[in-house]
Amino acid sequence: MRRALPWVVGVAAALAPLALGDPFLLHVCILVLMWTLLGAAWNVLGGFAGQVSFGHAALFGVGAYATMILYLKLGVAPWWGILLGGALAAAASLPVGLVCFRLRGPYFSLATLAVAELFRLLALNWESLTNGPVGFLITALPQIAPFGHPVDWESKATFYVMAALLAAGALAATAWLKRSRLGAYLVAVREDEDAAEAVGIDTVRAKSVTLALSAFLAGLGGGFYALYFRYIDPDAVLQIGLSIEMVFIAVVGGLGTVGGPLVGALFLTVLGETMRHRLQVGHLVVYGAFMMLVIRFMPEGLWGRAHRLFVAVQARRSKHAALGG
Amino acid sequence: METFAQAVVSGVLTGTLYAMIGIGLTIVFGVMRIINIAHGEMVMLGMFGAYWGQTLWKLDPFLSLLLWTPLMFLAGVLVYRLLVRPILGGGELNTLLYTAGLSLLVANVALLLWSGDYRTISLSYGATPLRPLGLSVAAPLAIAFAVALGLTGALWAFLARTNLGRAIRATSQNAEAAVLMGVDVERVALVTFGLGTALAGAAGVLLAPSLYLYPTVGELLIVKCFVVVVLGGLGSVPGAIAGGLLLGVVESLGAVYVSAAYKDGIGFALFLAVLLYRPSGLFGVGR
Repeated sequence: MRRALPWVVGVAAALAPLALGDPFLLHVCILVLMWTLLGAAWNVLGGFAGQVSFGHAALFGVGAYATMILYLKLGVAPWWGILLGGALAAAASLPVGLVCFRLRGPYFSLATLAVAELFRLLALNWESLTNGPVGFLITALPQIAPFGHPVDWESKATFYVMAALLAAGALAATAWLKRSRLGAYLVAVREDEDAAEAVGIDTVRAKSVTLALSAFLAGLGGGFYALYFRYIDPDAVLQIGLSIEMVFIAVVGGLGTVGGPLVGALFLTVLGETMRHRLQVGHLVVYGAFMMLVIRFMPEGLWGRAHRLFVAVQARRSKHAALGG
Repeated sequence: METFAQAVVSGVLTGTLYAMIGIGLTIVFGVMRIINIAHGEMVMLGMFGAYWGQTLWKLDPFLSLLLWTPLMFLAGVLVYRLLVRPILGGGELNTLLYTAGLSLLVANVALLLWSGDYRTISLSYGATPLRPLGLSVAAPLAIAFAVALGLTGALWAFLARTNLGRAIRATSQNAEAAVLMGVDVERVALVTFGLGTALAGAAGVLLAPSLYLYPTVGELLIVKCFVVVVLGGLGSVPGAIAGGLLLGVVESLGAVYVSAAYKDGIGFALFLAVLLYRPSGLFGVGR
């Protein structure tokens, strides 16, 4: 009963925005879930393996462009396009990893930044494939009716359900990674790469597999973005700002934790969108401020801190129970 | 041939300013092992300083250098003391993320204050280009070049000749040994961060009449700045100068002979190649 309680609360919380049906609320919830997915994508590589990438916008962009191009030029249904976009982002990440993983620490970060800028320039200038600075616009999404139930693409509820499934999938993948052998390898790489190699871990392979997983999730996020906003161009889906936002969500939520990206996205996106609603520009001021506060005062992140407090309270309670009983 | 000479000259002019920004980043890295992502925002603040000086007080942008450089030095000292120093123990990646936070914070405060509009500074003497040896050089860029050359020379003399300059170089080479030799590393770090910020701010003031001003311009500049310092070797001042000139010339030649669209791409490709094959920089002096 007590184990089921968090799940019941979670499902109820997930259904609440649908029941309320306020469009702005739903929009914010969709963004929170999309950023949860992206934060989780970055966290897999940055949080578990300790490889701080400043170039995840490239992978997000590959997913977004793949979904768009497959739908508009080849007529592939966009839900398949999202999955293919993720797969293509994972494929694109392999050469990127081959190049960037030869570098460590801050040098890796700088290299990923350069790679992302190269991707942006490519999208800007390869006009026959990407339409260059003009980008792509979806005017109509195809009619489908899974289970005899026509999908309403104008309704935000549709996208909310999609985003919720994607975010839940990303968190499930993180939870799996945390318990897996690969997850243990990654923590070893994060703590001391030389020691990890010395005990026989193929660190380049472990990091490359993780980057591919991370890229797949980021690519899914890009595909979802393309469908939801129906418009992409190099400045929208390949800018440095996107990479930085993913980093911030993962760090503020808690590096290397399962729930961190959800908490980080909930906290930062809600604050950011509320400010965007009021101000025209500059809403990312809260992102920068919280990033600095978190690194200075709680480097384990919001989720990490909450989790530690929870464990401490549990321990004290069981101690009391033992003494009293 | 004339096109070539023209491209090289304008590359060297821009490259000198890149070098100046790069030196600021590289000395901070040398002494504190911080890659300061907010460095680009310091340049942006210098640019807006020049803009507001001219708009509000009719101050000539190049003269306002005398006001903004010391102020930026002070700002750098304060940022170091209040914001950066408390987190220095947390490791290289933490400081990298922290300065990324600072960068976003400063850029967005600027957006809130000044909006995202593109602005320009127009100078009465900026309209007619100078024509030395049959080449055409924009007057504001030429003045900026001359001043940047002077400032870089002065910094060089400071680092080479004064005790504090020697202490900075010693800390940069080996912080532990410097402590053992009686160098007050804490003071050196404070001064270095101030100097780095002042250089960035001064470069911003100098660049302001030649570029568009907008609050997120730092993002563009910091990426170029990384290219410059990695080309020359992180932590090396001569390396940053060489890297700045090289990037300026490569970009300028690339724009003429390859394509203007891929001009920035050439810089990044060079950057990646150097990171991979010569991580200590083209001249093998950095770390």
